[in-house]
Amino acid sequence: MHVHDEPACQSRRDFLLGGGKLVMLAAAAGITDAVWAQRAGHPPLALARLSDLKPGEPYYFDYPQAGDLNMLVKLGVAAGGGIGPQSDVVAFSTRCPHLGGKLRGTLQAEVQVLGPCPRHLTTFDLSRHGVVITGHATASLPQVVLELDGDRIRAVGMQGLVYPEGGRHV
Amino acid sequence: MSETRPVPVPPPSAEEISTACDYCVVGCSYRVWRWKVGAGDTAPRPNAAVPWANPAQHNIVQWQGEPHHVLVLADPRAKAVNPRGNHSMRGGTLAQKCYNPENKTRERLTTPLLRVKGELQPVSWETALDIMVTVSKHVLKNHGEHAWGVKAYSYQYFENTYAITKLALDAIGTPAFAPHDKCANSNDAAGLDDAGLEAFAPAYEDWGACDVLFMSGTDPFETKTTLFTSWIMRGETPDKTLIFATPHRSMGVAWAEKRGGLWLPVIPGTDTLLHNAIARVIVERGWQDQAFIERWVAKRWEVDQGYGRGTRNTPWQWRTTWGTWQSDWEDFRQFLLSRDEHRLEQAARITGVSAALIEQAAELLARPRADGSRPKASFMLEKGNYWSNNYMNSASFAALGLVCGAGNRKGQVIGRGGGHQRGMISSPGNPDWLSPEKHPGRRKKPLNLDRWLMDGQLRFAWVFGTTWIGAMAASDELERHIARLTRDSPHQPQQATVEAASAALIARADAGGMVLVDSDIYPVEPLGTRYADIVLPAATWGEADFTRCNGERRLRLYARFCDAPGLAQPDWWAVQAFARRMGFGDKFAWRNGSDVFAEAARHSRGTPYDYFELVEQARREKVAGHEYLRRLGGDGIQTPVWRQGETIAGTVRLHDPLTRQGEPGAFRNKLLNAFNTHSGKAVLLKTPWNFPGWSEFYAAVQPRTDKQELWITNGRINEVWQSGFDDLRKPYTAARGLPQMLFMNPEDARKRGIESGDRVRVSNDTVYVQTGMPLGVAEAEMNFDALLAAGHVRVTQGSFEAVAVLDPGMRPGVAKAGFNGRGSHANAVSHAVPDPMTNNYRYKLGRGRVERLEAAAEKADLTAPSLKPRGLA
Repeated sequence: MHVHDEPACQSRRDFLLGGGKLVMLAAAAGITDAVWAQRAGHPPLALARLSDLKPGEPYYFDYPQAGDLNMLVKLGVAAGGGIGPQSDVVAFSTRCPHLGGKLRGTLQAEVQVLGPCPRHLTTFDLSRHGVVITGHATASLPQVVLELDGDRIRAVGMQGLVYPEGGRHV
Repeated sequence: MSETRPVPVPPPSAEEISTACDYCVVGCSYRVWRWKVGAGDTAPRPNAAVPWANPAQHNIVQWQGEPHHVLVLADPRAKAVNPRGNHSMRGGTLAQKCYNPENKTRERLTTPLLRVKGELQPVSWETALDIMVTVSKHVLKNHGEHAWGVKAYSYQYFENTYAITKLALDAIGTPAFAPHDKCANSNDAAGLDDAGLEAFAPAYEDWGACDVLFMSGTDPFETKTTLFTSWIMRGETPDKTLIFATPHRSMGVAWAEKRGGLWLPVIPGTDTLLHNAIARVIVERGWQDQAFIERWVAKRWEVDQGYGRGTRNTPWQWRTTWGTWQSDWEDFRQFLLSRDEHRLEQAARITGVSAALIEQAAELLARPRADGSRPKASFMLEKGNYWSNNYMNSASFAALGLVCGAGNRKGQVIGRGGGHQRGMISSPGNPDWLSPEKHPGRRKKPLNLDRWLMDGQLRFAWVFGTTWIGAMAASDELERHIARLTRDSPHQPQQATVEAASAALIARADAGGMVLVDSDIYPVEPLGTRYADIVLPAATWGEADFTRCNGERRLRLYARFCDAPGLAQPDWWAVQAFARRMGFGDKFAWRNGSDVFAEAARHSRGTPYDYFELVEQARREKVAGHEYLRRLGGDGIQTPVWRQGETIAGTVRLHDPLTRQGEPGAFRNKLLNAFNTHSGKAVLLKTPWNFPGWSEFYAAVQPRTDKQELWITNGRINEVWQSGFDDLRKPYTAARGLPQMLFMNPEDARKRGIESGDRVRVSNDTVYVQTGMPLGVAEAEMNFDALLAAGHVRVTQGSFEAVAVLDPGMRPGVAKAGFNGRGSHANAVSHAVPDPMTNNYRYKLGRGRVERLEAAAEKADLTAPSLKPRGLA
């Protein structure tokens, strides 16, 4: 049986995911095996101030590395993984896990949706951990793990594997 | 919610195996990288030749008894079908389909099972087969071949369907046979057939090369996903205009609307009027493709004489409908212009599609440009069209396409989009003349297997790879009868011996009950889990070499790359094992799947799936048919295959006069260059809205306002394949999907106090089920009113539960559920009264009250699947 924490495992561009802490999310109805989500810690990055955020307006940032573009947004409704008093501030990768399409600029804030991806039209539910609403990605949109330090929002990790830069053009 | 175990990288020594997807009609090309688990079993650095994979695309399987890694990825080198490795969520998670007892695929059937004292227990193949043979011989001898039936998939590979039909239709010779999606062995879109159009004549490049595409009863985004994203969104004409006729504005529709396309929110059942109204506008303005009509539409004398498909030999044209349908151009033109219901205002009122939209559609499809050139229009239909007013919707659709000059040119095609791949080669010797059903006149109808069972005529049924119950109309009523005839019989095996079990099952058959055998890969709820007496484990995709064509007739080898679990065997093997014990050994002597493939080739001749010349070429090169096909890899070859010198060639599209084929003296397949009629020309068919075989039924099944009913239709959902038999065992698809959804217009929902995430019950207290033997004699006997008056229509009830999803893309008055929800049968509220022309059920015309039960667990749980609507473009 394959052991998953060897360096030879293909991980997202050599990041140390093999040793990341495992977080169990809710078992889906009728499914007895829980779906494990790997949450990897990365050096924290200071983002915006909570008090500066306008609802529905995207704030873009690279994390954990330059070129890994993410979007932070205050949704106005409670969201899975959301921080802040309303639990409504979330951030996600903007690279479609299907084939790497660019999701920047596709926020539909009024329905808490990112997408449709300009390549093949997948949409993601930002209030439910980036799950695919309809489309072709075989994983949810990777979610940035956020922390609130006073008024300062910080990115401290990623949940899910990010599609590598230069995803194939299809 | 992402499953994110790191994915190992294949070493350079990993084997590569070419295959194609197990799921939808598109049949994307896939590549499997396989390497042994062990020390040093992954590459130290990423392998540039292998695309990035996520955990849903990796698994560990057994191969020749040893654990092996596999990556299953859409082929990045694909040029056909899914260029550069495009894929859907379904095929994208194929790796998770593979058997791995560490995960939920451990639920695979691995041994034959016999129900003893009500519980299924493992037995050997020998025991199971011997019981089946003992019972079958008794049933055939004492109750006749009519009492022995088969219900089987029509798509799960040529080797299997050929073997199954050879057993049922030839060796046993029973007319009690039905495929997975129909109650009888009939034709789906019969109107297309009668027009002379092959359903899968087009190539994918044709859907990609038109200027305007009219899609009736389908949003290809939902289930012909890569066809939509690679070809319809792109292709030679990425700016093409899309027109959709469907009650649900799902993602493809919404995307098209934003770019100048049209959504025609048609009320279920009214498509014929929509087609005829559009055609009338075209004809009124002189926009029809007159040159095409002159050359390619049959004249009166070409319709009405000769051998092959003409009026005399149309299977369903009978004495009392003579003259109702067939037409030529002048007659058809008069038909369009003279009837009141084809006028814009009337058609708009009945169809729910505004006059403005009807006119816009006509303009987009047929109005010549300033320079006199015509837009290239293509026409795709699917089940929203023909599982409704079955004959007339498909016939009127074909006529509309022909009027616009489509049918036999690149980018100007008419055809089905498809649901499943094309995996049926039917054995000859079909005893359809043994069917007791007939039209008024002399023509036979294929036997309605559901009614045959419900009326107590079926004593033995062997089911292959279908849920049956949820897939058929009036599901609850069908289930009640299956339960009565199997589980509720007093005659149940009490011991797992051949003698004792056979005796009990024979006693049941003699007492009027039914013995049920279910071959499948997983336990099927409830057919296998609750009712089957014998369950047989089948080997599936990846576990044996199989073949079939995709939706553009592309034939490929679906190669074996892992071991089947336990004692599971391909269905053709089980059929042969049974047949030999029955004494049919002279007909069943295959050494392997390639032998079946080679024999079936003979019976593909003259059909769109003709691969006979490939098998002949393999013989000339002294290799097995499967081996020759393996060499053709993911591109395969498009059938019909024809001989070209010392090699073979394929066929891009059918009916195209420009297609070169064959050598002088070689077998010429007329389908390649002409329409499938005796004259080679296409036939225009009239479709009078007041044809009583339709209008009486339609009046009876209208949603009743006094009961606050809605139309309850059903359809595919992109991320779910069929009953979800694999989806429920794949971590991501299981976690993000709901077992059954009901899409509702927000205003309809609000009136009923329903919000997204509420659990609802849908119920119809008047589900019609036709009973008795339809021996049509007099003119109106087969129509609904006469059947009801004569006591041949029973009233039953049906219901199902779902999670409501409010979707502004759902037209008012119509709600839509997943067509094959697991344990939640949308068809429970649709009527088992077939179209009298074709004997096909009209699944899409259900109705029901929708009542809120309580909030579902998923409503407030933010880790649960999304409840957002589907068309958020």
